[in-house]
Amino acid sequence: MNNVERFRRSAVQFPVFLLILTTIYLAEALSIRSQFGGDTIVGPRFMPILIAIIMYVALVVVLVGEWRQDAKASASGSLIRPLLVVVATGIYIAVFRPLGYVPATLSFVVALFLIFDFERRRPAFFAFYVIAVTAIFYGLFAGIFGVRLPPMLGGF
Amino acid sequence: METFVSFLGGFGALLSWEVLGFMVAGFLIGTFFGAMPGLTSVLAIALLLPITYTIDVVPALVMCASIFMAGMYSGSITATTINIPGAPSSMMTAVEGNALMLKGHGANALGHAALGSMIGGSIGAILLMAFMPLAAELALLIRTPGKFSLVLFALVVIIIVDKGAIAKGIVATALGIMLATVGIDVLQPIPRFEFGTELLVEGIGLMPVVIGAFAVSELLVQAQNWNLSLEDTLERAKALKIRRRDFIPPWSEVRAIGFFTYIKSAIMGYAIGILPGAGGSMAAFVAYADAKRSSKKPEEYGHGSREGIAAAESANNSMCGGAFVPMLMFGIPGDPTTAIVLGVLIINGLQPGPRLLEQQADLIAPMFASLFVSALILIPLTLFLFGPYFIRIVSIPRGLLYSSIAVVALVGSYVATYSIFQMFLALMFGVLAFFLRKHNYSVVAMLLGFILGPDLEQYLRRSLSFSDGNPIVFLTSLDSLAFLVLTVVFAYLILRKKPKFDSTS
Repeated sequence: MNNVERFRRSAVQFPVFLLILTTIYLAEALSIRSQFGGDTIVGPRFMPILIAIIMYVALVVVLVGEWRQDAKASASGSLIRPLLVVVATGIYIAVFRPLGYVPATLSFVVALFLIFDFERRRPAFFAFYVIAVTAIFYGLFAGIFGVRLPPMLGGF
Repeated sequence: METFVSFLGGFGALLSWEVLGFMVAGFLIGTFFGAMPGLTSVLAIALLLPITYTIDVVPALVMCASIFMAGMYSGSITATTINIPGAPSSMMTAVEGNALMLKGHGANALGHAALGSMIGGSIGAILLMAFMPLAAELALLIRTPGKFSLVLFALVVIIIVDKGAIAKGIVATALGIMLATVGIDVLQPIPRFEFGTELLVEGIGLMPVVIGAFAVSELLVQAQNWNLSLEDTLERAKALKIRRRDFIPPWSEVRAIGFFTYIKSAIMGYAIGILPGAGGSMAAFVAYADAKRSSKKPEEYGHGSREGIAAAESANNSMCGGAFVPMLMFGIPGDPTTAIVLGVLIINGLQPGPRLLEQQADLIAPMFASLFVSALILIPLTLFLFGPYFIRIVSIPRGLLYSSIAVVALVGSYVATYSIFQMFLALMFGVLAFFLRKHNYSVVAMLLGFILGPDLEQYLRRSLSFSDGNPIVFLTSLDSLAFLVLTVVFAYLILRKKPKFDSTS
């Protein structure tokens, strides 16, 4: 396996992503200014800087270990279905308040049933379960626990 | 003695219909989540965390305790019937229980698992009530440098307990601490890492982290492994006929196992529960290994040993009692479930520590009583009433189940603060936790780093400011030195042993 192939493995890319995240974190930590007492060892940026250094060292150790590992050991399933779940969830959150609980949740459950291949061949059952899930959790949150859920289209 | 008596008063609180209802509902929810492969009691409590905003603290804590106990026990159901542990702590039960199932003694194995859980869980709850006052006395002696070393000890144990991936454990823990530093500084009124947005000034709440790490990530993991099918295994299990009377283990078998085995395993489980990050899996594993080592019939192990089931189940249920000790006394959770229970306490304005016992024993006593009653009464009662139908739990369509979990998780993260931003955070942490799990980083270490991070920073900076920045204070303070020595001893003991134990499995 050459170096490009090694780098394409998500087991290597993930710690690289965390390295970038740590760098952003450290840059922000260095800009923190203490309100009183100056930037001494007990100032507000001491711990973030310390943790960032520990993170760097640990990530280098992880990266070296992952780099040396055989690609076959890290083989795993497709990411398409989790990606679809993330997209559906992101849209659900975005429309949750503008559309209201009922339409947003109905659409979300439809999307999840399609992604999870549930009752696709029996439309009546499909519709029944979509309505049932939406209604049951409305009853649980709004009915039993008295939580105010977003009304339909911001209105009633 | 006075505190112990006030703990006994907690049983009175369970006589209220509301509290009793939450305890029974929690137990049934915990049984369902524990028995269903892929779901855990941690997920159940995580999903119910937003609801605790809307109910009183006593029923909330009582419900958490019964979910914890039920989840620990019910993992043995699918472990025995279909050889898939419902919870990681039931791995040893799967080995012995399923071997008995294949010999036609499935109901007997479930009965032994319930009996072990019942005895272990009850002993763990009694030990918790008996030793909490002593733990409170000890907690009062610890000063700021000692508190720092204690939190450090907890984090080090959490990291090294998975000795196959120590660097990844450090990464996960450090990531949790980094997330905890977002928001107002622990000692000065200045915001950190808010990146110019007001949304982050108050910091990141426990709720989106818990829901993301345990609910959303589970959804994504299941979505990735969607094609794995249990149908063949289920068909085989459905064909088995289970009668209620077979659940009661014969007295001769209980005597053969010996009460000493139950009690010893329970004490081991309780002690392991006190250790941060160890959890039910390690309790079951250690007690099982010890029972095998000292058994008169070691040849039965691996082929359906009732003694092995009794040891493992006594230990993992007793662990529930032990896990509450560091959480209630020092705010250091022993495992993810108690980490979420800590969140429930904080949401309700209760601060863990010795003062909690002195001033608010009436609020936490019902939780202890719930642990005891769940173990002693609800475990055997649930087995007797629902035992023959347990196998049907896994027949629920996964598409329906996980879609429902997604709705509960997301709406739950909204209802706590009525914030769309919290929902986005839950999704973001879910994706992060998914990749952590996918690459064998401990999500539990991240959660505990997030919870303990502020304490670690606060005690470190306070100790250093008292000593003009001189770190030698951690060695000259006796309580601190004791915890540092303990850290070294534990690191040595855990790392030198040959058998590898994976806490994330």
